[in-house]
Amino acid sequence: MSDQADLKYQLIGAWFGPLFLVTFVLFWGVIGQNLPNPSPDLSADALVARYVESLGSIRLGFIVSLIAVVFYMPWTTALSAMMGQIEGRGRTLTYLQLIGGALTVMVVSFSAMFWVAAAFRPERDPQITQMLTDVGWLCIDLQYACTTLQMVAAALVGLGDKREKPLFPRWVCWLTIWCGVSFIPASLTGVLKTGPFAWDGFFSYYFPYFCWLCWFTVASVCMIRDVHRRMGEAADVRGGEAIGHAA
Amino acid sequence: MTGGLISEVRRSSMRSAASPAVRPARDHIPGEIGIWLFVAGDLLVFSAFFIVIALGYKTQIELFTQARATLDMWVGVLNTLFLLTGSWFVAKGVESCRETHGVSSHRYFALGILCGVLFVANKSFEWGLKISAGITPLTNDFFMYFFVFTGIHLVHVVVGLGVLLVARGVSRRPVLRAKDIRTVESAATFWHLIDLLWIVLFSMFYLL
Repeated sequence: MSDQADLKYQLIGAWFGPLFLVTFVLFWGVIGQNLPNPSPDLSADALVARYVESLGSIRLGFIVSLIAVVFYMPWTTALSAMMGQIEGRGRTLTYLQLIGGALTVMVVSFSAMFWVAAAFRPERDPQITQMLTDVGWLCIDLQYACTTLQMVAAALVGLGDKREKPLFPRWVCWLTIWCGVSFIPASLTGVLKTGPFAWDGFFSYYFPYFCWLCWFTVASVCMIRDVHRRMGEAADVRGGEAIGHAA
Repeated sequence: MTGGLISEVRRSSMRSAASPAVRPARDHIPGEIGIWLFVAGDLLVFSAFFIVIALGYKTQIELFTQARATLDMWVGVLNTLFLLTGSWFVAKGVESCRETHGVSSHRYFALGILCGVLFVANKSFEWGLKISAGITPLTNDFFMYFFVFTGIHLVHVVVGLGVLLVARGVSRRPVLRAKDIRTVESAATFWHLIDLLWIVLFSMFYLL
């Protein structure tokens, strides 16, 4: 493939970032009724009542989320391509970021799929609906380490980027590590049902998810800028060659 | 610890003329910018933790006061002492790296690491006693906060020990470049942060 086409695909991949962000927040968060999300302390009957009350919205939200979440994939591959150029031949961290991003998609997908299954037969035994909801939340909240590794790998390559115009400024790299680590309290969702560390709490839900999307937004901006800059440089080189030929 | 930071900034500015490794003048910020992002972020998150504890005291005053009385204040005092002493050694280590760099530089960091290890040991001992007495994070809100917040702080200490090991490794080099000084300063800044966070946690859990 020509360099031009390669850059074009990297640009498209990077723009899947904002696309993911908007569709994910809209369908997973707003339409899927996850802002605020159901408390782990709800009784099985109250939980089923919550599903029945906004059944159409919850179904639509999570079914579309299952499509929107794959927008994370082209973004991850575009980031991998950019990291690979920085890292050179070994590419250990590039591959780590790549599988970290891929597994993030699966973790988020599976949790949404459990909620679609929970909403599938609201007339069944409430205990089963409660269990499916539990599995969905524990799935997404306890398996954050895939995403943390993706972020740390991206940050380490960013910190090692010695080019004159690096992909990520140094502060972005540190922010990335910090945001990745902010997920750690979410492990407590495996035990606690109330308080700020339960899966509807500030430190296990709102804060780490906000940090993750915050990193994602900042990284997307850096990536889009970087591709545009390289496209500009490539155009200058071609322009220079054309002038050379004409002379 | 803020005192340590301020005096470090002051010291470095005083000595800038003598030491070529240190960037000139009063506006020298120790370490690299990223470490300060970490400091700001952690201070923000821990401030939220402190608000959560304060709200707990407000809404469940009796339970919190009773539960607090079961904590051994002297274990907390001892841990505060370990961290403050460790921070002093680390500050001396940074000073030594900047000035009369020699064998003493990495010895100071080793002593700082020793203080950190003693903190971890003392904390494990305290937690062990509580757990063997049947008190866990699930006992009540006070102990949930106690274990979670001191646990998150303990994770910081363990990471900080790794960071100090790196600083010690760097400080063993015969000649320190400006970049090495920055690494050592970043490590020390992170260690002082751990100290500061502990002092607030200590006062909220053991003294209030």
